[in-house]
Amino acid sequence: MSDKKREHEKAAEIVRDAGGQVVGRTKLQKIGYLLELAGCGDGFYFEYRHYGPYSEDLARAISVANAFDLVEEEERKATWGGMYSIYTASEAVGERVEGPRAELAATAAQFGSIELELAATAAYLSAVEGCEDPWKETARRKPNKIGDGRLEGAKEAYRQLSAIRTPTPLPQFE
Amino acid sequence: MAGKSKPQRVRDPVHNLIEFGTDQFEQVMWRVIQTGPFQRLRRIKQLGFSELVYPGATHTRFAHCIGVFHTARQLMKIIESREGSQFQKHQADVAVAAALVHDLGHGMFSHAFEDVGKKMGLAMARHEAVSDRLIRESEVSAVFKELGSGFANDVADVIKNGPQNLYDAVISSQFDADRLDYMRRDRLLTGVQNSGIDFTWLIHNLEVGFANTGKDTDKLPQPEVATFVIGPKAISAAETYVLSLFQLYPTVYFHKATRSAEKMFSALMSRVIELVREDSFEKTGLSSGHQLVTFIQDTSCLDSVLALDDTVFWSSLPLMFEADDPLIEQFSARLWKRDLRKCIDVRERLLAKSEHLPPDERGKLLMQLTTDVADDVQSWSDANSHDIPRILIDRDERKPYKHFDDSKGPLNQILVRTESGGVRDLAEVSTTVARIEEFQLFRAYVDQNDDKAKNAINTSIENALKRSV
Repeated sequence: MSDKKREHEKAAEIVRDAGGQVVGRTKLQKIGYLLELAGCGDGFYFEYRHYGPYSEDLARAISVANAFDLVEEEERKATWGGMYSIYTASEAVGERVEGPRAELAATAAQFGSIELELAATAAYLSAVEGCEDPWKETARRKPNKIGDGRLEGAKEAYRQLSAIRTPTPLPQFE
Repeated sequence: MAGKSKPQRVRDPVHNLIEFGTDQFEQVMWRVIQTGPFQRLRRIKQLGFSELVYPGATHTRFAHCIGVFHTARQLMKIIESREGSQFQKHQADVAVAAALVHDLGHGMFSHAFEDVGKKMGLAMARHEAVSDRLIRESEVSAVFKELGSGFANDVADVIKNGPQNLYDAVISSQFDADRLDYMRRDRLLTGVQNSGIDFTWLIHNLEVGFANTGKDTDKLPQPEVATFVIGPKAISAAETYVLSLFQLYPTVYFHKATRSAEKMFSALMSRVIELVREDSFEKTGLSSGHQLVTFIQDTSCLDSVLALDDTVFWSSLPLMFEADDPLIEQFSARLWKRDLRKCIDVRERLLAKSEHLPPDERGKLLMQLTTDVADDVQSWSDANSHDIPRILIDRDERKPYKHFDDSKGPLNQILVRTESGGVRDLAEVSTTVARIEEFQLFRAYVDQNDDKAKNAINTSIENALKRSV
């Protein structure tokens, strides 16, 4: 086996850097995307899906990380009836290194899944699709998710995230 | 439009008679079918290389799309009958139109070419991206405009943004018109005798109900959404529907010979792309004006995308026989003759050695072993190949039923109404569906006479098993 970092190790490190625990697949995906966008990711390939930027490779890698006991995945039933996963990094992943990557991941992990999905989607629309008003377009694409102050919450989340000094600054937009 | 509208009819092997009426909507749908981008779908086979295994599987995206339209119309009639005066005609028309054009952007060999595109960074190899542009920008959008200036964009949005409501779920869920057509069509045309579904019974037991929605620990703002629900008398039919998909994966979609051809196609196309990008197209055997070369030189050009189809690829193979590049020369000739690489089913071998373990432990161990062996075998191939990879690795997985998690919400689920009147996810009601495992594969493809490559794979398997003891 080579010394090159393997995909499942990279996935586990996202959980570790996010503070050791990530609640929900959506949140894991969006943290992974923001890390890539900010130039502190590991090269996971993302594309736009119905639920915003998504990486099949990251989804597969986190399952493998669970098999190698680098993360523990616990499935729980939500109050609304569906299932969700909680990922907890094990000590085998190694030490978290303070820096822009860890700060961005941990900050992102503090926000709700829906706010983070909206924020990551707006960032994608700005960075990849060159959208002039990413928030307006995000609201148009996800009308069922923006109510009850979620869009405003997403804007505030993104304001905090984009203020972090990262190797590649996150796209700036109002 | 000048002249009197007249009804149109298509005979279809799955649905028999598919009719287009004289009302404006159906006449517009008929005219969409006559456009260049839609007619191109006649030249893209639904199952790509599957005809190398199942000679009857030569059916096209063209027939499938019309079948999806027909099925979506059937599902929409159920909504109309339930909604009565609340029925949203515009939303319904948009969703049914989306059903017709949802696959418009598929390229040659569909998903096999998409994999090449992902590997080589070709955005316009993704059928969703191409469909989006074709619906918004091409002659298709001009035809859609007869139904309103924003109709084409509304159709594109439904496909791009996923299901927002019951109407959208007709074309985007685990029980949508797309799957209801392709499962039946692929079974019929391949000739496989398993994987049958009870379509009539499912449709007759389809109701509209309400389900809660959320994401992870968050509840979404709206408390519940209207969605399709299967009545209690069709729970067995719903189980069969999921199991049928489970059977189609190994039998048809991931058949080892089909996948061998796809892996050879992928390696061949990747090399062609590399050489064209290096301005060395002459080493491919193709001329400077060939459709493949033109596409690779400007992958964002819609006309270049539309110029590609299965027939272009097959007709390019004899040109590639003359390529200077050894991989292109060899793989083009072998695909032409169906001289495919042989499959070693690595996962099956590992599975056989771990059957004594309890299912939970076995799943974890298998994932560890397959990951280690895949890395090991890839390293061996990289170190021991020159112009042509000695080992082509194939790893994939598919869930026949995605459980009700945080990904897409209840509109994506198969929900059932229980005898007590509650609405629950199929996997909660059916232990069969709950226990159905993800279909996973890990195969290696090697030349028949390449004993060293075969030995390397065997050694890697043995070593991984020894380490796991």
